Amino acid sequence: MKKVRMQEYKQRIDNALSTPRLQEALHRFGDAWAKAREDAFLGLDFEALRAEIAGCKDEVRRHRERYLSEFIRNAENAGARVVRARNAEEACRYITELARERGVRTAVKSKSMVSEEIHLNKALEEAGVRPVETDLGEWIVQLAGERPSHMVMPAIHMFRQEVAELFGQVTGQPEPPDIAHLVQLARNQLRGAFIEAEMGISGANIAVAETGGLVLLTNEGNARLVATLPKIHVALVGIEKLAPSLEDALRIIQVLPKSATGQPITSYVTWIGGAVPCGEGDKELHIVLLDNGRSALAESPRCRDALRCIRCGACANVCPVYQTVGGHVFGHVYIGAIGIVLTAFYHGLDGAAEIVRACIGCRSCVSVCPAGIDLEDIILHLREVIAGEEGIGAGKSVVFKKIMRNRRLFHGMLRTAAILQKPVTRGERTIRHLPLFFSGLTEWRTLPAIADTPLRDSWTKLPQKVENPKARVAFFAGCLNDFVYPELGEDLVTVLNRLGAEVIFPEEQSCCGVPASYSGDRETASEMAEQNVRALLSEKPDYVVTTCPTCTMALQRDFVEHLKDNPVWAEKARRLSEITFDVSRLITDKLGGAEVFQGSGGDLTTYHDSCHLKRGAGVWREPRRLLAASGRELTEMAHADRCCGFGGSYSFASHPAVARRILEDKLTDIEASDAKCVAMDCPGCLLQIRGGLEKKESPIRAAHTIELLADTFRR
Amino acid sequence: MPEENRMKTFLEAAGRSGAKTVFCSSPAQAVSYLRDHSGGSILLPSFSSSRRLGLAGLLRDAGCEVIDSDFRRQSAAAAAGLTGVNFAFAETGTLVLESTEEPVRLATTLPERHFALLDPRKIFPDARSAAPVLRQLQSGTRHFVAFVTGPSRTADIERVLTIGVHGPREVHILLLEGLSDDPLEM
Repeated sequence: MKKVRMQEYKQRIDNALSTPRLQEALHRFGDAWAKAREDAFLGLDFEALRAEIAGCKDEVRRHRERYLSEFIRNAENAGARVVRARNAEEACRYITELARERGVRTAVKSKSMVSEEIHLNKALEEAGVRPVETDLGEWIVQLAGERPSHMVMPAIHMFRQEVAELFGQVTGQPEPPDIAHLVQLARNQLRGAFIEAEMGISGANIAVAETGGLVLLTNEGNARLVATLPKIHVALVGIEKLAPSLEDALRIIQVLPKSATGQPITSYVTWIGGAVPCGEGDKELHIVLLDNGRSALAESPRCRDALRCIRCGACANVCPVYQTVGGHVFGHVYIGAIGIVLTAFYHGLDGAAEIVRACIGCRSCVSVCPAGIDLEDIILHLREVIAGEEGIGAGKSVVFKKIMRNRRLFHGMLRTAAILQKPVTRGERTIRHLPLFFSGLTEWRTLPAIADTPLRDSWTKLPQKVENPKARVAFFAGCLNDFVYPELGEDLVTVLNRLGAEVIFPEEQSCCGVPASYSGDRETASEMAEQNVRALLSEKPDYVVTTCPTCTMALQRDFVEHLKDNPVWAEKARRLSEITFDVSRLITDKLGGAEVFQGSGGDLTTYHDSCHLKRGAGVWREPRRLLAASGRELTEMAHADRCCGFGGSYSFASHPAVARRILEDKLTDIEASDAKCVAMDCPGCLLQIRGGLEKKESPIRAAHTIELLADTFRR
Repeated sequence: MPEENRMKTFLEAAGRSGAKTVFCSSPAQAVSYLRDHSGGSILLPSFSSSRRLGLAGLLRDAGCEVIDSDFRRQSAAAAAGLTGVNFAFAETGTLVLESTEEPVRLATTLPERHFALLDPRKIFPDARSAAPVLRQLQSGTRHFVAFVTGPSRTADIERVLTIGVHGPREVHILLLEGLSDDPLEM
């Protein structure tokens, strides 16, 4: 079962990757959306706005029964009939039975993700009712027999020629692939259905407890017709759509269109309360309040923030993986990062088991989410849950549990690997080709060899050139610095000594544990946290410095989280967090600032923001400031903070083909910047970007910031 | 937001949303604009300021074909809908229409053109500042309140913005002082 599922998933990835038009469409949309969104939020305090949305949604989650009863009471007073459905089956049954009782033959629908969630169209068809989607994108997808590949733009994966062909099947004649013509055709064709239909079915963006009313945001105007023309209106509403007051609703209306499409407001915002007049009599308004896993989600402390979602789709729009494979791969019914979480709770873990691994962990979604959901954190937790159900795989299990937790064994094996790789590296620092079935890994990037002598073994021989040091700084190297790029350690010593700091290397330090927690093995990650806190604090440093932002995040954030319930280690982890800095911020904030460098005449340089440095540690100005001070002229590449596709085991094991495509985008942006050098602050990004440039035989130099800073002192 | 800026902001935002704005110095001027731009029969639901002005009569005198009854049957063929506006938001160029009565909804959804008569005195800075009035509009047990910002639009095919999919293709805002200063009435 699991094997078939994995194979099907891989097949879907391959199909998507062989459709370059899809990637082009999603990239173009992503760029246009990002610009429009930025303009829409211009002059507004985004952090304050999303804190308000989060606050309002959390309030509803905490007191959901109270707000539900308030909503139901007010809606019923206004003449609506309200039913609560525990699951998809109950919701479908209520609606199909209603249709049968009232003799409904045609139901016109406006866009509703809940309807997709419960597969309502299928249920209606089985009950002999013809469902007609009237949102243009939804109609296209319905005619194609597909499901939406985006929550706001359902047919974003399709092109005008395909739409013209589908519409031609409706009209029975060839239709030209002209967008204005196709839109007009949809208007004319669907008008008939609006007038004929006995039932209108809509979703709702907000359910206002205070008034018992629903709010619908649309651009096309179809929801207004769905709610006006047919005698019966059924509104399908997830219970998380509640907002306590009218002011709360206005807040959501202020933010949702800006985040969804970059519009200041949608063409229509429709407030519907109760049974309004309809023809000679009154409308029948049925409101179906759906739970279907939402209460379970509310009870999950690690996942419940997902209930804040207002369905804007921003998390997909910024996601490098979504832009590469689209929503039919990276999604189930709900797509993108939020789709992973909602699928797990609304459709079951099995539906989420593959897509939960699709996240590369770049945190772009976290930075744009208008409801302040830490999607990456929830996804990591779900990986743990699925690992608990299905295991993380025998190979990984041995590596993490038996090897990584034993530092001497782990490091011993890395040393052995340095010797065993000789036939492949031929003594060079770069692996250009791997034999046999590993060859795919070096088809698109060279790989660095494991160093002959890891940093930890050469450390005592590194001279410290500093008298009366003003600070004692412990270096947390991380595996890549220690075993693959030991020279970065030497550069770090050169630079920090010059700034008056002594650098020490606590020998008992080991892997930060992130590879284990990203694979769902939290137990090993906690064990590594404890080992490292002990190792680093035992040397009583003033600061701990890292040259790997993923390690920075582990020390600053994850260790505290892993050890928070441990009476011995919780306080120590907090202390370590407080004194840990990435090297750029350590220099700018603690060791005298950028002014020390005063260089000139460096190469034109562009800077690649590593995901975990910018969106994890909030550091992006600092390295630019340092590089500029060191005499480099800086030029910004497009999408400087877009992921390079490394993602640790993501590019080696789980999704190398996706990682390769994401890297291609990055290299294109680097080359277009005309820079001679690309700087970055992460050894993982360095492995990926340097490997990609080398494979292309590009003259552009890829370097860690610390390497370039050390250069200024060597010159 | 000072009165003058408010109008400027409103006009700019309405323009960006794709609506046309027209200043009318008298009801007669509004009527002649409607005669020139309606493109055919005009759906005219009943609303306070229209009744006070005797709009139906003025339009008929000007030679317009006016539909003011039997809306369900006649609205599909109408070229235009004419309504008042309860109030507006400067920030986004949004019109707020209390649409509980069905003819108002039909006149603003089905025809290709929507003409909206707005008294400039009823422009609020933004939605939040109008919350108390909005609450009053919804305090009745049943309500249907519409925010309308520009014409109907879609970008569902290849993300190409296309105007006029299910709702009006054109929205004309006729600014006419003296209609009403009460946001609770249209």
